[in-house]
Amino acid sequence: MFAKVAAFEFRQIVRSPLFWAVAGIFFLLPFGYVASEHIHIGDTANVHKNSPFATIQVDLIMGMFFMFASTAFVAGAVIRDDETGFGPILRAAPVTKFDYLYGRFTGAFAAALLAFASVTAGLIVGSMLPGLDPDKFGAFRPDAYAYAFFLMAGPSLLLTSALFFLVATTTRSMAWVFVAVIVFIVAYIIANIALGKPDLEAIAGRWDPLGLFSFDVATRYWTANDRNSLLPALNGALLFNRLFCVGLGLGALALAYPLYRHSAAPGRSAPLPDPEIEEAVTPAAAPSATRRFDSAGLFAQFVERTRFDMGLVFRSPVLWVILALALGNASISLWTGTDDGRYGAAVYPVTRLLIPALDGSYTFFVIIIAAFFAGELVWRDRDRRTHEIIDSTPAPDWTFIVPKTAAVSLVMAGLLLVGVLAAVLVQTFKGYYDYEPGEYLLWYLVPGVVDLTILSALAVFGQVIAPNKFAGWGVMVIYIIARFALPANGFEHHLYFYGGTNPVPLSDMNGQGRFWIGAWWFRLYWSAFALLLLLGAYALWRRGATNSLASRLRTAPRRLRGPALWIGLAAVLVFAGAGAFIYRNTNVLNDYRTGPRDDRWLADYEKTLLPFENLPQPEVTSVKLNVTIDPDGPSLETRGVYVLRNTTTQPLREVHVRFDRELEVRALSVQGAWPKKTYDRFDYRIFAFDTPMAPGEERTLSFDTRLAERGFRNAQHNTRDLTEVVDNGTFVNSLEIAPIIGMDRSLLLTDRGKRREYGLPVELHPAPLGDQASRAHNYIGHGGWVTSDITVTTAADQTPLAPGDEVSDVVHGATRTAHFVSAKPILQFFSIQSARYAVKSETYKGVKFSVYYYPKHGENVDRMLRALTTSLDYYQANFSPYQFDQVRIVEFPDYAQFAQSFAGTFPWSEGLGFIADYRDPSRIDMVTYIAAHEFAHQWWAHQIVGADQQGATALSETLAQYSALRVMRQLYGPAHIRKFLKYELDSYLRSRGAEASEEQPLEKVESDQGYIHYRKGSLVMYRLADEIGEDAVNRALRSLLAKYAFKGAPYPTALDLVAALRAQAPADKQQLITDLFQNITLYDLKATDAVTHRRPDGRYDVALTVSAEKLYASGTGVEHPAPMNETVDIGAFTAMPGEADFGQGSVLMLQKEPIVSGVHTLHFITAVKPKFAGIDPYNELIDRNSDDNTIAVR
Amino acid sequence: MLIIESLSHVYSGGVRALSDVSLTIPNGMFGLLGPNGAGKSTLMRIVATLQTPTSGFVRFDDIDVLANPDALRRTLGYLPQDFGVYPRVTALEMLDHLAVLKGLSEPKARKAVVEGLLRQVNLWEHRKRALAGYSGGMRQRFGIAQALIGEPRLIIVDEPTAGLDPEERNRFLNLLAEIGENVVVLLSTHIVADVADLCPAMAIISDGRIVRQGAPSDLMASLAGRIWMKSVDKDELAEIRAHHQVISSRLFSGKTVVHVLSDNNPGAGFAPTPGGLDDVYFSTLAEAHPHALAA
Repeated sequence: MFAKVAAFEFRQIVRSPLFWAVAGIFFLLPFGYVASEHIHIGDTANVHKNSPFATIQVDLIMGMFFMFASTAFVAGAVIRDDETGFGPILRAAPVTKFDYLYGRFTGAFAAALLAFASVTAGLIVGSMLPGLDPDKFGAFRPDAYAYAFFLMAGPSLLLTSALFFLVATTTRSMAWVFVAVIVFIVAYIIANIALGKPDLEAIAGRWDPLGLFSFDVATRYWTANDRNSLLPALNGALLFNRLFCVGLGLGALALAYPLYRHSAAPGRSAPLPDPEIEEAVTPAAAPSATRRFDSAGLFAQFVERTRFDMGLVFRSPVLWVILALALGNASISLWTGTDDGRYGAAVYPVTRLLIPALDGSYTFFVIIIAAFFAGELVWRDRDRRTHEIIDSTPAPDWTFIVPKTAAVSLVMAGLLLVGVLAAVLVQTFKGYYDYEPGEYLLWYLVPGVVDLTILSALAVFGQVIAPNKFAGWGVMVIYIIARFALPANGFEHHLYFYGGTNPVPLSDMNGQGRFWIGAWWFRLYWSAFALLLLLGAYALWRRGATNSLASRLRTAPRRLRGPALWIGLAAVLVFAGAGAFIYRNTNVLNDYRTGPRDDRWLADYEKTLLPFENLPQPEVTSVKLNVTIDPDGPSLETRGVYVLRNTTTQPLREVHVRFDRELEVRALSVQGAWPKKTYDRFDYRIFAFDTPMAPGEERTLSFDTRLAERGFRNAQHNTRDLTEVVDNGTFVNSLEIAPIIGMDRSLLLTDRGKRREYGLPVELHPAPLGDQASRAHNYIGHGGWVTSDITVTTAADQTPLAPGDEVSDVVHGATRTAHFVSAKPILQFFSIQSARYAVKSETYKGVKFSVYYYPKHGENVDRMLRALTTSLDYYQANFSPYQFDQVRIVEFPDYAQFAQSFAGTFPWSEGLGFIADYRDPSRIDMVTYIAAHEFAHQWWAHQIVGADQQGATALSETLAQYSALRVMRQLYGPAHIRKFLKYELDSYLRSRGAEASEEQPLEKVESDQGYIHYRKGSLVMYRLADEIGEDAVNRALRSLLAKYAFKGAPYPTALDLVAALRAQAPADKQQLITDLFQNITLYDLKATDAVTHRRPDGRYDVALTVSAEKLYASGTGVEHPAPMNETVDIGAFTAMPGEADFGQGSVLMLQKEPIVSGVHTLHFITAVKPKFAGIDPYNELIDRNSDDNTIAVR
Repeated sequence: MLIIESLSHVYSGGVRALSDVSLTIPNGMFGLLGPNGAGKSTLMRIVATLQTPTSGFVRFDDIDVLANPDALRRTLGYLPQDFGVYPRVTALEMLDHLAVLKGLSEPKARKAVVEGLLRQVNLWEHRKRALAGYSGGMRQRFGIAQALIGEPRLIIVDEPTAGLDPEERNRFLNLLAEIGENVVVLLSTHIVADVADLCPAMAIISDGRIVRQGAPSDLMASLAGRIWMKSVDKDELAEIRAHHQVISSRLFSGKTVVHVLSDNNPGAGFAPTPGGLDDVYFSTLAEAHPHALAA
């Protein structure tokens, strides 16, 4: 009987349209992923589309979405009979409860698995399509598909199916099952975020019911090669997790048995009995009243309808369930949105940070609510069968459509307000009381309500034309998918995507800037269209029994007579007028750019101009700039003169001059030269000298440029209105406003797939390490060492700033002009800034330290100054004297999140550190770290700068990281450095797995490999200093400065750095330097056991068992074991390193011990009984699993 | 006065619901009697402006209903055959809402009307209960209350007594009888007794056609002396059907009581019986469909 019930259920489901719809969707999604170059799930540039890793990733993610389908199948198996009324008949049949319940589940689950097999089918069929890029596909791996289906997705599906089957059998209500699924998903997302911290991942990996974390933990440090070839070993946490899923699933199934009553469903309570027993006496007739059908009466109807429709929304449990989920999700986002994440830093919850957090976590739910209730309201009268009564009332047709839209809008406004209240509560809980109601209103509520109303109009219209509610919701699902998919594929103009508008970046310094202007034009444009949609919905509204769209289309014109026609005409005029105005701004005044068009431009740029790369060019030796900023324009005009010198040994016939793409070049002339060729599309000009420029000869180049906002642009991806020149917080660098001499490789197309698509060589590498020709230029803008003379004019209430000594600063009428001169040689790379600043200054050892900041951002200014003075002492003592008389930190708006080091001047984003919250002193001091790093660049970039070849950034970024770490160590002690190192280590290990091209060893790092020059660089330099001594490292760096500081070509390379370090290292550390700089070296260190015994003298014997392995990896991640023979820290502690209670006092013992490959037991003695012991406890080595280095002592 | 002329309606699937229906309905209760599927509800919905007929003409007093549905709606009270309620909404809220839709925009006057109607239909005690919890009879009384909002001159009630128990039905008909004096009340039903008890005028509709109309008493008089009855065993029924025009047969105390239509005494144990409205109805249907009458 069991088998028959199961087979019957299986056939029932397989015959249903739902089954085929689900199978179709779950075939197409993975098929599209494999066949499309634009969809990425698990695959990266070097990871194949059909790699085992990507296959499992796709199965897991599809499994998560499939939960809805499998739940519908298994829950339907027990609920369907009650809904059809067939239940009592079936239960009266001679089927045991066991056979009925589990037969149904088995049949339904089997059907679900069959439907889910379409994922595997989609992956396989997709990978066999002809014409796919063979580089993106590896061998056909049936074992991987089986592994993904049976071991990864299968157990998770069993768990969720069983869980919701249990809910279905208990409640016998699809609505409750639906609620349970939503609750499950939100709980999952919340847990996901809460457990997303590195130290909690192990827990998440064990207990994740969907297996995503488990898979992530098992593969987190996999390289591209591993991802293409390996299946995760089914042991440890992964095995535990899979067994947990199956076990919990079976448990839920078992529990369903006692909870299921094999009898009639718990019905609703019986209706009220009719209470009148006595014959009804005839009461007096109702009083009469005048009725009004004039405008006042209609307005009353509008208000009443809106109120009534809103009431029905507010009484719906669906609203409250989704709202609870949305708030749960949002509060996590709001709470953690102000954690910097890196190094456990935190920032103050300022309004401009919470609004994007709300947008990311809350607004989407509100969109879903809007789409859901648009369907509910449009169909409600029909669903509830009240439509015949309502439709036969004298309420005019428009009182159906307008109040429903208004009700949805008002509900949305209420929900957005709830979101704001949640944000304000979070601010209050975090002790931040600078509430900004005006900002919430103008930055979030008003635009949000307008956008959601536009969206609601579409949802209402979709419901009116759709044959039923589900089709109407389907319209919105397609719309929401298209909203993500179209821009990703180059269809980026907001003019043709309904409801599209410019995003508005927020800044404390600059508010909404001018970004809101374009955004609101688009809103006007789409509001007019939304009005047309509503008129269409009005004309096509179902009133009475007429249902087919065709018959409603016939009667529509009659409704559109009269005022509706005039409103429609007005809407068409506004739509067309706003559209034309927008088009003029986005496509005539500005270039309309899309991702693909930009890529094409870059590819053509490279094809046309890269051949000029090695053409000998004169070098700039002196720069004079006269910059005029109009913050209101906004515009920035630059007139300047370069002195060019032929530093080569041969006469030069041409000079190549290029400009940033945004820049308007108004005049350009080169002394004694004529414009030979101009590439207008690329702003690239070739000048030919009348008489060739002799070696050592100097000529001048004069130019006049303008960087200005012209109207507004279509903001999407890389394009947005100017962020460089704004009302308050202008920040440009010289590359953006002044000519660049010669061609180089910076900012070209790097994505391998795109390079192939556009017919470029797949790899774009810099010149190889050790190349001699490229030593003629440094890697920063190809310029040499120059003297500078910069005049900046701005509005009188702003402070103009540029590198150099300030020689004058005068206010003249409405303008203020400051003049900066640098007589000493500096790099040809300048920053120009202007804003309404507050200033705090301090003079220390003859250097004037100043912080220019937004007046509300004074919190960490003192910390910055202290960081700078501490750094000055360390750097002058250990490296060389500081070359300038001033250091300036200058804040700029949050349109970019970095700090950058120009000569003596550091532009620093308001998004980084200015609002860092250090009321909790255990927070890692990121502000000091950044200040020390940027200041260190005054040596490591502004004194010595690497040649334009591989390894250049090892001389600047890696050494700046090293310097900053030394300053931090001096301020906070070595015990606290572990947090940094651990972050650097995890970040490096993760990033190398996602490397798109080839991982280089540190000495060959390429400039876009930040995870190597920053992250690995910190680890390498810290360990080296620990092994050969800080003094030896600093001696080596001093020798480098002595040889290369302020010198022109040939510029130093990473080989010089390695040689300088080798010169200071003893013979037994030479191999270490090879491993650190020239190999990709990984370790696997682990503490497996630690035992103590109390000695007769009261001290403790500690026996620590460790295992150690070392390996070398190739650039694509192929690993080879190597014999390990080096010294590693061994430690014993009273607290766990890295925990909050860990400090210098927790260290009982820390010493270096020689360690070779294999398992060893080490013995040592401590005065106090240790709680923890371990190997490399501070994570100085690049250890693939750094969490098992320390173990609790037995 | 409601005038229906040559009304025909064909559904998009080709089903012909009404064929050339013409009726003239004066003030007072008018019963529209017909079996399920005869086209009663289609006719009601067309008059109630909820459906546009394929062809024909409907006029109420001086309102051309098809051309100007809004004008009719202002004077219409409609109780559909089958209507639902919103969840979690009370009778008072719902009636108030409908009153606004019917143009009672002054809150004070509206309140008075709504309260008066609730009292009139005896739902005052239960006005704060959710409609979803009402019994069938209470729900129908609520239905009539909403139909009476705004003193309509045309009231359409479609199958109002279906599913009510006898007591509920009684009370409901009493309520209808009170209001149906100075206005047109169009009552559709398949229950003969509803019409017999209430309506001074009636029509019988079958297969979309009006097959008979007039005052119930006149119609009954036309059958006087032509109805004969006999109590028979079940196995004799086929024999009788073969030789007589059987207009109804029903079980009574285990025997089958047969009514036949005959101008003369059919003999063989048949006795004359005074014709009721039942017999008018069934004989009319039998004439319209000589072969379809199986019951």
